[in-house]
Amino acid sequence: MILSGIAILLTFIGFPIFYPVPIPPVNELKYAQTALSLAEKNKSGNYSGELYAEAKSLYDSAMIYWQKENKKSRYSRNYNKVVMFAGLSAQKANQASENSRNNSSDLDIKIRKKLSALNDLVADLTRMFADYPLTQVVRSNISKGKFLIIESELAYKENRLLEAEEKLQESEHLLTTSYENAFSNLKNYFRSYPEWKRLIDSTIAVSKETNDYTIIVDKYSRKVFVYLNGEKINEYSAELGKNWVGDKRVRGDKATPEGMYKITKKFESDSTIYYKALLLDYPNDEDTANFEAAIAKGVLPKSANIGGMIEIHGNGGKGADWTSGCIALSDREMDSIFKIARIGTPVTIVGSMSDLRHVLNR
Amino acid sequence: MKNKILMGLAAIVMVAVLASCGKKPQVEIDATNAAITAAQAAEANVYLPAEFAALNDSMNAINAAITAKEGKLFKNFKDEVAKLEALTVKAGEVAGNVAAKKEEIKKEAETILNDIKAVVAENAKLVMKLPKGKEGAAIIEQFKADLGNVDAAVAEAQGLFDKGTYMEALNKIKAAKAKADGLNSEMKDALTKARIRF
Repeated sequence: MILSGIAILLTFIGFPIFYPVPIPPVNELKYAQTALSLAEKNKSGNYSGELYAEAKSLYDSAMIYWQKENKKSRYSRNYNKVVMFAGLSAQKANQASENSRNNSSDLDIKIRKKLSALNDLVADLTRMFADYPLTQVVRSNISKGKFLIIESELAYKENRLLEAEEKLQESEHLLTTSYENAFSNLKNYFRSYPEWKRLIDSTIAVSKETNDYTIIVDKYSRKVFVYLNGEKINEYSAELGKNWVGDKRVRGDKATPEGMYKITKKFESDSTIYYKALLLDYPNDEDTANFEAAIAKGVLPKSANIGGMIEIHGNGGKGADWTSGCIALSDREMDSIFKIARIGTPVTIVGSMSDLRHVLNR
Repeated sequence: MKNKILMGLAAIVMVAVLASCGKKPQVEIDATNAAITAAQAAEANVYLPAEFAALNDSMNAINAAITAKEGKLFKNFKDEVAKLEALTVKAGEVAGNVAAKKEEIKKEAETILNDIKAVVAENAKLVMKLPKGKEGAAIIEQFKADLGNVDAAVAEAQGLFDKGTYMEALNKIKAAKAKADGLNSEMKDALTKARIRF
């Protein structure tokens, strides 16, 4: 009787102690936790966001199941799901870490390449369009694009790669749009090159045939060339109308006309406010015909005026395109050209004496 | 005999008491979570990201340890309570350090915001003196556009600074300063080449 009492008592005490219970998945959870922590350090939230979020969610599930199992009698607990979720969490976290390392390394390379490409693009823009009348919007966009490159470089140096990339994308958009806009404008302008070439050849030929002086104005290079007997004998720097790209269409458009003209009058210092001046026969017959056609088509209003008084004159050397369409030379150079010019001397004004390819390779 | 039976019963009672005496330290857990939340509200994740991540790591580890112990027959959360209390203190320290770090960033941004004013003013004078030789006009136009962008960036940085987003303000003003300094050098080079005094 006493012995059976003791046996029952020992069973009651010993059962909970010695009965095998499932081992809690402490190590599995710890491993998942370490993997998550490493993923966080590797900025997986930034570079492998989806996997990292999945890993965190799986870890949370593991913890929830563990707490759920803890509420059961310790003999009926089953940690399989906890172990499974913890294992998956660790796996995803490790993947996130690796992806993050790879992605950030790829991004690093991508940023360096893009930075170099965009700096080249800025150099091209500067080289090709330094003296081209770009619109204020295009100039401002180029400027913003360049500023974003600096911001990106700083972000890159401080390892804020995503921010660096974002800035570069913005910059790339602004700079490529500006380049395309400027280049397309330039290309359109140079479509007239065959016609310019014809005018140039014809003017040089006249100089050769007549054994006399002819003058050619190259608007793109801001040069005035003097030919004698088909040979270039002199060149001067010129300043033009602010909107020098394209032909003159109407009074007040600040454009310098293009075409073949002749000097119709010479003004000495006492007859002009621009030191000395050579008046051209703008508008010539072709200009008048084009102007009337533009009015007939409704491109220009009926009240439009074709303008006139286009001259080669002095007071130049300001370094800016400031005239209302005339060609301004420094007074010293004006003296030089004034000496050889006479009434009837041909003056041909073209966009460029070189084709676009040559202009771009300068 | 009676005594032995009584002793056995007492042992059973003791086991029951020991098994149920360790309660999950919910009060301490809540206090630590609140301290971590407060650190986040103080922008520890922005100004001290590594320290903030370490707080979260520690909290996760403590949670796991508590859950592990919750499943045991004899629970004793003494260690975890101590760790929670220490972590609460640490979270408070991190939150406090944020203020110091923020102040440091604020001062740095403020210094550059002040420094740039002189460069911007000098640049405005230099651009007026730039040589107007061939291509000068267009280059001056581009310089003016660049200077305008620097002005805009300074205004943006000042706005961010006034809003209290010092880190963003610092990043913006650093870039503006770099650009303004670059323009300053470029213009001085151009003036030196043209032998124009500045």
